[in-house]
Amino acid sequence: MILPMSKLRILGPRQRLDEVFRALQDLNLLHLSAPESAGPLESSRLDARQERHRDQLRRALADVEAVLAALQAGRGTVGKAPPAPTASDFARWARLAGRVRRETDHLTTREAELDDERALILKYQHFFSAFRALLESESRWTNATAYHVLLKRGDAGTIPALRASLTAAIGDEFELHSQTLPSGETAVLAIVSARAAGRVEQLLAQARVEEIPVPEAFGGKSLADAIPRMLERLGDIPGELDDIRARRAVLARSHGAELRAARLAIHDRLRALEALPLSGVTPRAFVIEGWVPTRALPALEAGLAEACGDEVVVTEVARQEWQSEEAPVVLSNPRLLRPFEALIRLFPLPRYGSIDPTPFMAVFFPAFFGLMVGDIGYGVLLAVGGLILHRLSRPGTVWRDAAEIIGPCALASILAGILFGELFGDLGAHWLGLRPILFSREEAIVPFLLLAVALGAVHILLGLVLGVVSARAQPRHAFGRGVATAMVLLVILALLAAVNVLPRRFFSPAVIGLLIAFPLLIALEGLVAMIELLATLGNILSYARIMALGVASVMLAVVANRMVGALGSVIVGVLFALLFHLVNFGIVLFSPTIHALRLHYVEFFGKFYSPGGVRYQPLGHWTRARGPARSTAQPERRTA
Amino acid sequence: MNPALIALAAALAVAIPALATAWAQARIGPAIAASMAEKTELSTTAILMIAIPETMVILGFVVAMVILVRPG
Repeated sequence: MILPMSKLRILGPRQRLDEVFRALQDLNLLHLSAPESAGPLESSRLDARQERHRDQLRRALADVEAVLAALQAGRGTVGKAPPAPTASDFARWARLAGRVRRETDHLTTREAELDDERALILKYQHFFSAFRALLESESRWTNATAYHVLLKRGDAGTIPALRASLTAAIGDEFELHSQTLPSGETAVLAIVSARAAGRVEQLLAQARVEEIPVPEAFGGKSLADAIPRMLERLGDIPGELDDIRARRAVLARSHGAELRAARLAIHDRLRALEALPLSGVTPRAFVIEGWVPTRALPALEAGLAEACGDEVVVTEVARQEWQSEEAPVVLSNPRLLRPFEALIRLFPLPRYGSIDPTPFMAVFFPAFFGLMVGDIGYGVLLAVGGLILHRLSRPGTVWRDAAEIIGPCALASILAGILFGELFGDLGAHWLGLRPILFSREEAIVPFLLLAVALGAVHILLGLVLGVVSARAQPRHAFGRGVATAMVLLVILALLAAVNVLPRRFFSPAVIGLLIAFPLLIALEGLVAMIELLATLGNILSYARIMALGVASVMLAVVANRMVGALGSVIVGVLFALLFHLVNFGIVLFSPTIHALRLHYVEFFGKFYSPGGVRYQPLGHWTRARGPARSTAQPERRTA
Repeated sequence: MNPALIALAAALAVAIPALATAWAQARIGPAIAASMAEKTELSTTAILMIAIPETMVILGFVVAMVILVRPG
């Protein structure tokens, strides 16, 4: 259900505005809305000092977040912070965050340099390994120059062309060696006599061949001289990287808790500052307006009275003074239904005063899913997966919601599996003698189709009835919707009577009822209503997908089982059967979910759902779980 | 009726909508992926957009089944 809300107006002396905001932040109940400016009342603005303070806090917060990310210290115990931090506390935190950030930035830069250096040396190391003997004798080539070239993977075929070009340019005054490296590149070493070197350099430049230069840091023109020093350096780098990590760990230990406390305090202060413009002020007084769940109103009044005394007055704004669309929305459902609110939140929230579809979704979503999967084996696998996910996830996260939705879906799949007599397709029938209680989906296609469409008719009629209820504020529109609902019912009755499912005597009254309702519907809702009526009948047929996906699922399972005897070898057959069941299970996880969702979002919600609700976000303290982007509460779980 | 013709009719009832679904999803998929890259909150719309053309092949499958199991 959508919780009833009350609109409040809080009045008090202007000098106590900050104090009231702090109390409201502690209470975490009031969703602020800006009061209308009228007469001497105008929107509160941050003065120059407060704006400066806000900008400083934002910069400090950026430093704190960057440091905690660099130190991987975002989680953990929070250090002690004063209950009401002063300007000097914030200044101290800003200095600390700035100082630690400079150090972590330096460590990060140094780490990147070391990584680059190691990558460069490794590149040379491969080259050195390839031509070790030749390079070690390089110092003996008094009248020669060595050129080191790396060819990309797949370019090794150009070596004969290179050899031919060198021969054409300098005759036989060179040696060319090449070797494929573990990386797939090809190392090429060309040793050229000193007098032909100029010509070779010209050739390399023309061919845009890039020679590997000997890094300046290792000095000398000879790679053979540089490489031993480079290898020595390679041995030192891991130690230096360890030092950097150790320094980070020291920083995280010594400052992590305090910086986490600073993060909380800065976020809180920023939120209070950013909420300030949502209040109205006169030269002497302030006005704050906002929303609170009606059942939490006494708690808010008592909390404010305790924190601010009787100088601050709380009054409830009369219901006639506000529109439903303005009120924020809090979904509140029993524990078992609550996980399905996550599926509603994938959609824009329902407007205040409209219907919360969570309870209906909690019943029909698992039912549709179960009918589509309809297999004890897959249901048990799903239940096991759900239990593991439940064990691994934390309360309040999307994963926990998913685990709690999987539970009823798995149960529905197992129940449907018992009704259809399916355990991994027809394996249960062959091994355990399992027999269908209702019908076999493999054979009774038409009964399954009728069951799916009948369920669709029930679901859509329920949606239409909810549509009538949600339009109750506009009697004419509600009556029109009621007539449309009755017409859908009459069409279904006439069809059932026509095919002798119902006694034939129902046919004529149903048709007469339709003839009477037709002009009434046009008069009340216009011609569009007729198109909507036809679309509604189409919506009911859309539920045939339950049968289609269910039959496809069982057929795939049966095909998987038949592989055991069809592939000659039993072991190969079993492996293929397992693989096929795995694929089918993957499809079972995905496709029925999408289509059960679609049946709700498109077919069912289209009949009554009014999106556009504003999420209830009370002014409260910042917590890491909510994060800066969702800086206000998810109150459905914790307040009221 | 000739069983081969019945089988052909059932195959066409699935194959033609399957091609149509594939064509529609091939158009919708890149468009919705591009939209989601800019607005991640469109994920629900993405699910619906991808699932809507599947109706064609699913109903095609239903028709094929009805053709195959029809009495006579």
